[in-house]
Amino acid sequence: MNDPYQILGVPESATDEEIKRAYRELARKYHPDNYHDNPLADLAQEKMKEINAAYEEINKRRGGRNGGGGGSAASGGPAGYGGYYGQSGGTSSVLQQVRLAIQMGDLNRAEQLLANYSDHNAEWNFLQGAVRYRRGWMDEAKRYYQTACQMDPGNMEYRRTLDYMEQGPRAYPPGGTYGTLCAGNPCLTLCCAYTLCNGGWCFFC
Amino acid sequence: MFGYVRPPQAVPEAETERFRRAYCGLCHALGRRCGPAARFILNYDFTYLAILLSEKEEGPRDRARCIASPVHRRTYLLSSPALDLAADESVILAYWQLRDGVEDHDWLHGLKYRGLSAALEPAYRRAAQARPAFDGSVRRQLALLAELERGQCPSMDRAADTFAVLLQGAAGGVGDRVQRRVLEQIFYHLGRWVYLVDAADDLRQDAAAGRYNPVALRYGLTDGAWTAESREDFAGTLDQSVHMIAAAFALWDFGVWTPILEAAFYTGLFQTGRAVLDGTFHERRKKRKTQERST
Repeated sequence: MNDPYQILGVPESATDEEIKRAYRELARKYHPDNYHDNPLADLAQEKMKEINAAYEEINKRRGGRNGGGGGSAASGGPAGYGGYYGQSGGTSSVLQQVRLAIQMGDLNRAEQLLANYSDHNAEWNFLQGAVRYRRGWMDEAKRYYQTACQMDPGNMEYRRTLDYMEQGPRAYPPGGTYGTLCAGNPCLTLCCAYTLCNGGWCFFC
Repeated sequence: MFGYVRPPQAVPEAETERFRRAYCGLCHALGRRCGPAARFILNYDFTYLAILLSEKEEGPRDRARCIASPVHRRTYLLSSPALDLAADESVILAYWQLRDGVEDHDWLHGLKYRGLSAALEPAYRRAAQARPAFDGSVRRQLALLAELERGQCPSMDRAADTFAVLLQGAAGGVGDRVQRRVLEQIFYHLGRWVYLVDAADDLRQDAAAGRYNPVALRYGLTDGAWTAESREDFAGTLDQSVHMIAAAFALWDFGVWTPILEAAFYTGLFQTGRAVLDGTFHERRKKRKTQERST
């Protein structure tokens, strides 16, 4: 492993509190929520693992004073970095194949399977949205997600995915999220307190 | 389609100077690699391209007088693989944008584009010879875009995808796999953002001229004026691309260039987007240029 202090961006002389703060800041930056269904989610996951390992190593060297070392859960909380594509109970085998294709990054195959599937139900719309999102077609992705939510309002997977998309990442810029319609001023609606502990993905959970 | 990415605002003087050194370095690289005519295509967008492709450190510098600064010597970055790549790609992008202008206008109004593209042609030939893959990709994507425009494609995502993929190709020459993936994502969404902002900026003109505009088609805006709902929704889709850029940006160490890029990705793009949607973008640009000339 590289120098754990360097990974956390702190000098060896940093206090326990400074180390904890640096770790929290980085963990917030690479939080799975910021990379939900993102094509670069695997890179964020690698970063998170590296940060967790560095923090654990420093704790070990300092005799566990930071209260860490409880084992990394860098693979993510309920959402994780890869989205929800494993949870497809009750859907047709074709749509399960679509989920698998998306997970494998084979968007052409996913699109082809969806094109040949005649039942345009909530799941079909959700997966169309997922393919568009992975491609970066944000407008169409959002509209498919919205349709999926309208067709099956009780489905939490659809709802959360749409929420992630509409709210965007909350870890940057430091001090608040900005947007086109509130450029120059923090968007008060989005400047909510960021919940670090929402899925057991870091040492503080 | 260029001119929407602005120089970093509200950053320390040292960062502004660093940006200037990259700007001047790219200008020298353009002249050296593609001939003096190529230096006239220099803009801020291409400077960001060079910065994104750069190493983490600045690299060696030199000082020289030039047409823009004939009295005082200006410090600039000496040649580097990143500057050379950015210079070649900039020429290819600028040339095909001019050719696009020729296609989009009648004979009289296309004269300007025809003249400029002819002046840039020798530079383009050199750049295309050095970067054939990128040149081929730009040609293919622009041909696809022209086809979509002819067919009045109603999907703004599909139309924007052509320019996004085109810009994504600028990362094709990057060797490191992780860096390339990060840059491809940044360039894709920067290309999408630029295309959509440009379309939004042209809404009224396109409506008056009866030209294809994907944003107008998407929201059913017949007179080029936004409705409150469409404006909000469109701002949301721009923001989603900026968020994707910021998320990718966090995954690579851009070294000394980080503050400049943070200023662009965390505030600059939002400010430009808002100015375009408010209709104040060109006023502000005129005012800024006047200020720049007077300093």
